[in-house]
Amino acid sequence: MELSIDRLTKHYGRKIAVDCVSATLTPGVYGLLGANGAGKTTLMRMLCAILEPTSGEVLLDGKEIAAMGEEYRDILGYLPQDFGYYPTYTAAEFLSYIAALKGIPRDRAGKRVKELLGMLDLSAVADKKIKTFSGGMKQRVGIAQAMLNNPQILILDEPTSGLDPKERVRLRNLLSEYAGNKIVILSTHIVSDVEAIADKVLIMNAGQFIASGTVEELAGQVKGKVWELTVPSEQARLWQADFTVANYRHEGENVVLRIISEEEPDPGAVPCNPTLDDAYLYYFGEKEA
Amino acid sequence: MELFVLEHKRLWRTPRVLLCVVLCFLYSVVWGSVFQYQWIGFGTTNDGTDIYGNDFDGYSNIRGFQEEFSQFGDEWTDETLQKIVAKYESYDMYERPGLRSMGDWQLASGFLSKLYPELEDPEGQQYQPLIHYVDTTKLTDFYQRRADLLEFTLETTRQNEGMSEADKQMFLDMNSQIEEPWPYEWTQGWANLEFGWSKMAPYLAIALAFIFSGEWHSNTAPLLHTTKNGWKKLARVKVLNGLAFALEFYLLIAGGKVLVQLIYMGTSGWDLPIQYMSLEAVAPWNMLQAELYELAFGLIGMFGYAGLVMLMSALAKNNVLALVYSLAFVYVPDILGRYLPKWLMALSQYLPLVGNSFDYLNYNVFHIFGMSVWSPWMLISVPGLIGIVCIPLAIMKWSRRQRV
Repeated sequence: MELSIDRLTKHYGRKIAVDCVSATLTPGVYGLLGANGAGKTTLMRMLCAILEPTSGEVLLDGKEIAAMGEEYRDILGYLPQDFGYYPTYTAAEFLSYIAALKGIPRDRAGKRVKELLGMLDLSAVADKKIKTFSGGMKQRVGIAQAMLNNPQILILDEPTSGLDPKERVRLRNLLSEYAGNKIVILSTHIVSDVEAIADKVLIMNAGQFIASGTVEELAGQVKGKVWELTVPSEQARLWQADFTVANYRHEGENVVLRIISEEEPDPGAVPCNPTLDDAYLYYFGEKEA
Repeated sequence: MELFVLEHKRLWRTPRVLLCVVLCFLYSVVWGSVFQYQWIGFGTTNDGTDIYGNDFDGYSNIRGFQEEFSQFGDEWTDETLQKIVAKYESYDMYERPGLRSMGDWQLASGFLSKLYPELEDPEGQQYQPLIHYVDTTKLTDFYQRRADLLEFTLETTRQNEGMSEADKQMFLDMNSQIEEPWPYEWTQGWANLEFGWSKMAPYLAIALAFIFSGEWHSNTAPLLHTTKNGWKKLARVKVLNGLAFALEFYLLIAGGKVLVQLIYMGTSGWDLPIQYMSLEAVAPWNMLQAELYELAFGLIGMFGYAGLVMLMSALAKNNVLALVYSLAFVYVPDILGRYLPKWLMALSQYLPLVGNSFDYLNYNVFHIFGMSVWSPWMLISVPGLIGIVCIPLAIMKWSRRQRV
């Protein structure tokens, strides 16, 4: 299975939301990283065939997804960024409703709903109305609905928003286990979520992919550009004004700054091992990120 | 089917919908029927000035009147009219029932003023209606006088309102099918025949206006559009759901009203001709047929209006706009009536739940492709056609919004 994004572009009037983006996605987990407004949601909507591109196309095994219609939607699972639900439905009813919309036969749907409710730790509240749920619980219902039809292509827009740390870890594990021979695309600006599970990371800015690769590859791209520098705390602000500071840690009277810089910022700076966070900040710059 | 059941369950579970159904039931069935029969309409009047001061004894009063007026025979003849008028005149002047009381006095008085105007006091000394003083022996030739009145009314309409000779003849032919003498029983109970369908419009609109637009409001549209059956099947299910709701809502209200009517009135008087409601009416219908027409008018109107509301819902991405557009179809013609051209006002009567379900008492005719079509048939069919046109348009409109 191969999902090809070919020069995909979306304009809203004069604003370019997605600018001639190309990529080839094979089974695996893809993390789409980018600041707000980078074009992640627009791209995902086009990948779901619910937003018409201005130009370019998305092909699944050589077939245009919009033309595939029902065939494509049958293998697609999607969690929109602002997940809407019906407040008067219980979690189980809502999932059954979406299962019916996905054309899953009733007996299979019942089993799958039960299974997903268990996987997402919602069994105890299956018969409670969604309107009584916390944000994290609603988000888990949203994730469950996306996975109902066991989709070959699972697109999750900000799936970890609203989840507490424990739930995020659970979701990461669930997605890692689920991926197998499927394409899972998740967008987030929480770098650690992507770092933990993504086979490949695509960094988006101003509607374009500005970097892509595995976590190691991306981190490797900033090797030699990450430094740690210990300075008196009263000087910390001056360093922050001049450099991209990835971290700021107090150590007694001093402050240890993690600085992203092409060149050694100070003779006292010590080079250190880069992470995806560093790579993200390197590409975006502290303010933009 | 599973999707339909879940969608339907969701609609019924919406607090707004439940509130509408309960309020409409209370207004139409409890207030509009039970209270009308038991209290406002047929409860014993104490001082005759305040209907809310009536006793809560309508059921026994109705039974009493059905019994009392059976003494005047089971056919309407000159003698029946004479007996009813004589009975009225026989009451002591101070104990005489008012013309608006529950007996058939108003009916008889109306007949007298229309058919026997020459018997009114020529000197103008009597300031009371004919029924108070007329010489009952002169109340003869009822059916001939009615035929003369009808001829006069139709001719006046022909001359003043442009009715064609053919249309006039059509109405006379219809009238000739009315069997004489008419059967007779106490008729006043049939004053409640009108079901007031237009009052159902806001409830139906509030329940159905959000059926499509609500998906934008609840932000579920992107989710629905990416499912296998998604937009297209869901649109069909939603429309079916709306129509099913309209039918259930209709059955609840119409069924409730018919049941109350059966409890209070029984089947007595179902075969009375509608000419008791309007002497000049020409339709050869009895009360049962008129009621069936009323029920069909309501059912088709409800379906037509449901289609219209669902189209508005599919057109608007906003719940409030969908509701405002839906209500505008019913209320704007009413509000702007006097500012609209007459032809436009007449056309607006053919919108679902807008027109007059009692038009079978009038002489309105449409000429379509050289054929004369009696207005009640148009009033019952056009709203249905509007619904039939709106439904596929709603599906198409919603379907086109697959990309969000």
